[in-house]
Amino acid sequence: MTELDILTHAYPPLIVFAAALFMLVLPRVLGYALGALSLAAVTVIAYLIPDGAYLTTTFLGFADIQPFFVDEFSRLVGLGLGFLGTFAVIYAYSSGASRVQGAFALAYVASAIGATFAGDWLVLVFMWELMAVTSTVLIWNYGGDAIRSGYRYAIAHGIGGSLLLFAVTAHYAQVGEFTYGAGVADGVGIAHTVPALLAVLGIGVNVAFVGFHTWLPDTYPKPHFATSVFLAAFTTKTSALILYRAFPDGHLYLAYMGGLMAVYGVVFALLQHDMRALLSYHIQAQLGYIVAGIGIGSAIGIAGAMGHLFNNVLYKSLLFMAVGVVIYRTGENDLYKLGGLWKEMPLTAIAFLVGALSITAVPGFSGFVSKGMVLDAADPGYYGGPEYQALYWLLFIGAIGTFLSFIKLGFYVFLHGPSDRTVKDAETGQTVAMFSVGGACLVLGLPIIGWPVFTDLLPLVDGSAVVTPDFETTLHPYSPGHLFDFLVLATVSVVGFKIIRKPLSKLDLGDPAMFVNPATYYVGRGSMVAVTDTYRAVDAAAVGLVRQVYWIGNNPVLAVDALGRRMPDWMVELEERQPADGGRPSTIHLRASIGLTVLILTVILTIMLLLLV
Amino acid sequence: MSNVELIPVLLVVAPILLATLPIVLGLRFERTGWSVTALTTTGLFAASLILAQRVYSTQSAEIYGLGGWDEQFGIVLIADQLSMLIVVLITATAAGLLAFTRLAGPRGNTFYTGYLLLVGGLLGLTLTGDVFNMFVFLEIVGLGTYALISSGDGPESAVAALKYLILGTVGASIYLIGVGFLFMATGTLNMMELADVIQNGGLDDQQLNLIRAAFAFMFVGFAIKVAQWPLHTWQPDAYQHAPDGVTPLIAALVSTVSAYALARIMFDVFGPEFLIQTPYAREIVVTVGSISVIAGSTLAVIQQDVKRMLAYSSVSQFGLVVAAYGVVTETALTGAIIHLIGHGVMKAGLFVAAGVIAIGYGARTVDEYAGLAHHRPVPAAGMAVLLIALIGIPPSVGFIGKWYIAVGAVEAQAWSVAAVIFLSTMLTLAYAARLLEKMYFTPARNVDPGSHRSTDAGSPVATDGGASSQTRGSPDAVSLGMLALVVSVAIIAVILGFAGDVFFELLEPFVDEVFN
Repeated sequence: MTELDILTHAYPPLIVFAAALFMLVLPRVLGYALGALSLAAVTVIAYLIPDGAYLTTTFLGFADIQPFFVDEFSRLVGLGLGFLGTFAVIYAYSSGASRVQGAFALAYVASAIGATFAGDWLVLVFMWELMAVTSTVLIWNYGGDAIRSGYRYAIAHGIGGSLLLFAVTAHYAQVGEFTYGAGVADGVGIAHTVPALLAVLGIGVNVAFVGFHTWLPDTYPKPHFATSVFLAAFTTKTSALILYRAFPDGHLYLAYMGGLMAVYGVVFALLQHDMRALLSYHIQAQLGYIVAGIGIGSAIGIAGAMGHLFNNVLYKSLLFMAVGVVIYRTGENDLYKLGGLWKEMPLTAIAFLVGALSITAVPGFSGFVSKGMVLDAADPGYYGGPEYQALYWLLFIGAIGTFLSFIKLGFYVFLHGPSDRTVKDAETGQTVAMFSVGGACLVLGLPIIGWPVFTDLLPLVDGSAVVTPDFETTLHPYSPGHLFDFLVLATVSVVGFKIIRKPLSKLDLGDPAMFVNPATYYVGRGSMVAVTDTYRAVDAAAVGLVRQVYWIGNNPVLAVDALGRRMPDWMVELEERQPADGGRPSTIHLRASIGLTVLILTVILTIMLLLLV
Repeated sequence: MSNVELIPVLLVVAPILLATLPIVLGLRFERTGWSVTALTTTGLFAASLILAQRVYSTQSAEIYGLGGWDEQFGIVLIADQLSMLIVVLITATAAGLLAFTRLAGPRGNTFYTGYLLLVGGLLGLTLTGDVFNMFVFLEIVGLGTYALISSGDGPESAVAALKYLILGTVGASIYLIGVGFLFMATGTLNMMELADVIQNGGLDDQQLNLIRAAFAFMFVGFAIKVAQWPLHTWQPDAYQHAPDGVTPLIAALVSTVSAYALARIMFDVFGPEFLIQTPYAREIVVTVGSISVIAGSTLAVIQQDVKRMLAYSSVSQFGLVVAAYGVVTETALTGAIIHLIGHGVMKAGLFVAAGVIAIGYGARTVDEYAGLAHHRPVPAAGMAVLLIALIGIPPSVGFIGKWYIAVGAVEAQAWSVAAVIFLSTMLTLAYAARLLEKMYFTPARNVDPGSHRSTDAGSPVATDGGASSQTRGSPDAVSLGMLALVVSVAIIAVILGFAGDVFFELLEPFVDEVFN
């Protein structure tokens, strides 16, 4: 166990962050190699380290801070992020990303991993803000269009981060502890009422609740395509884990928000031309399944959500990688301007196919298992309560929409007539990365041999059996019922695509939530102008006052004269001012005479005697 | 009777007797005054340190009766925890200032006679244990002060001295009337016996009325001596027109010792109980102090002459001390005493710096201070440190005094005093900032030291030679001792800022005894 003891001191974010610093100074190939190694190390650590809280310390005067907290949840997410991160770094290297870009990306990954392993709200909030900052910088690094999107991204995450910060502050004020669940009434999650409300809004920005999601499809298509791979994997998935930390018991509203996200995401994904925008809306849709699973709150729901989270990290990044290669080789973002590429770049096409089959939850791929678990958790025919009937249909519609949009994406990019351009296939490093991640998607979903390995990794699941005190069942993803459901799904989708293909290609409908962008702009500009004008008025008044006081200070004689002239003569005996005083420094020529002083003295003494005696 | 017990007597009698020496020796030798005074004041300083060491180590007051008189009429000297702080301040200031007067003048044996007389009077006023002798010493101090102020050249000094002579004597006389009332009521002049009678109760209505009248007279008498607005009118003239070598002494000591004597009368003779029981007594004291703070600071802000500005600043700082007396709590009284001493140190330093600058740079008005930091960095820096200390920015002796007063005011829930402290800090900041800005951020108008006349286009050029009597100073006139004095006072003002606890502990036995 001594080797494992050493691991408890190997704080993963620190390793990755150190690699980020080295990347700035080392030659590019060495830097990227070190980055990939550091993330591989994180994967190994996450796999081997036993459960527990490590490096517990006192920070900012708050005792019992747990920066390195390992349980089934953080282990699973850490494993996924580390594994994907390793290959994302390799992919970025072979995609020609610069050293600075790589360093920012690693810093961003480090903060996301830090948030994953956080054991209390204080560390979490710190990592959360760090994640927002590093990801913004990573986006800005690309320049051009990404700058403006990056601003909007920063504003959205600034608001979300502040809400979470307020939530954590309110939580601490209420229970006096930062550790997850400590001091809360039922022992789990964040304190109820105000902190919970603030937290759900703050985390809601990051997991792209409907209405809070505009930053996601706005930002993710804009930067370097290798950057998109990182962005797609880390922020939203880490945030989904934190959503579970805050609401481990789930909530009906949360579950239905997940259902809405699934439908909303696929509808707008279907309408996109830009490949990465399409994938971005799918992030929202897939997060919908995760949020739904967390919202349902049953053991199978949570396990399914976590599994889906893990899979999502893999296949969504894989899809971004494949699409990235297409952009890399063709320089084209619009899927309607592409076609027939499977002949030009068969390896990329295969990688895309693996990703698409995973996300659409085709049997034999990992997505089938996890999405099936979430659907089963909602389906009243299996484990869901009757209140989840509508949710089940929402998620089912989402699944159909996913199918449709990936048929659309694959059809227009890789099929659809002959290619009008000749391009090379992916770079070696890109191929390695895609096939490694794709291989994992495939292996973890294989019937009989693959999927139990995957489900064993999941929290609350032992082997293929869900075992909790109040819930016990065995998973059968490849049962006839499940396969039949899939067949229905696939048939509806293929037929549906035939019908809607033509009208869909003519339809260009914007996301109504995007009105947030101009609204943010005008509200921001308006408040800026108001603040500036108010400041100007206050400034002018203050400067005027100071100037007047300063004049009085420098010209006391003139000031006193001016005052004296306004007073009645009997009060002040004012000498005429004689300007021709030979430049003698002006002095106050108001002097109380001896007689006047004695008079005042008498008056004061009289008053005192009257009062005292 | 050991020698130490003779020291109080020595402290009072020696300077007064030795004051004759410069005149006597002056018949034969020309310039003996400075040497005699230096020897005397150094000896006094040493003696006061020995006595202070004894008083603070034994934690008991040294009481010494002169002559064989009955206690109730006799001359008694008291060296306790309160008076020894003031005694050390007096002797140290008197000895230190000689570094300035040696070259800066005023010269002459008669000046040093007045100097020693004043020191003797101040020590007597501090150590005396009966109210009548307090009047006598007030008059001796007054005489010394008149003599010193009038030793300046020019008619303004004479007028200023005359003004102080008349008003100071009126003040002392009013105090004497108060003493008369007290004697009528109690039949004794000794402070301890007076305190016994007044504080232990059993007074009939007539006695009480007499005592209250006595308090009114004594307070108003001291209000003149301490220069409380609007009875301060002698003070700015006196400070401004006194010779540069005299102003530090009277600014640091004369009003300070009078304020100390007022504290002695208020707390040792009348006692806190009397102040609290008598209707309006505290309100009057607080009101007089507060008005002085505000009026003094405001007048200081609009002054052009630096010495006059500092004089008005004294009006406001003593107002703060008097207002603190009116709070009547242990902390506020401690703060008032600390501020009294701190103010003495800071004002001595400021007036010495003003004198050095007047001699070495020829600058006397705020405008003329322009560019001082560049041309005379050492006195400018010393002045800047002392001004900052006066504002009360920590660490400085000005801060700890204000701090204790503020704490005392808050404890007693005297919010008006707390507000006055805040206001006084702001106004002090205003006039200090004016000077600092001139010294450090305004370039000199006229770099050529040979010509004095302002070349400012805005002011009419003098054609009548009206200003030629004022010549531009030269740095040669400034000795190393003067600069060392400025620098060391500035350093002391800062170091004492760390000594808040020390002061508090030194004063604690006295304050405890007064309030319990």
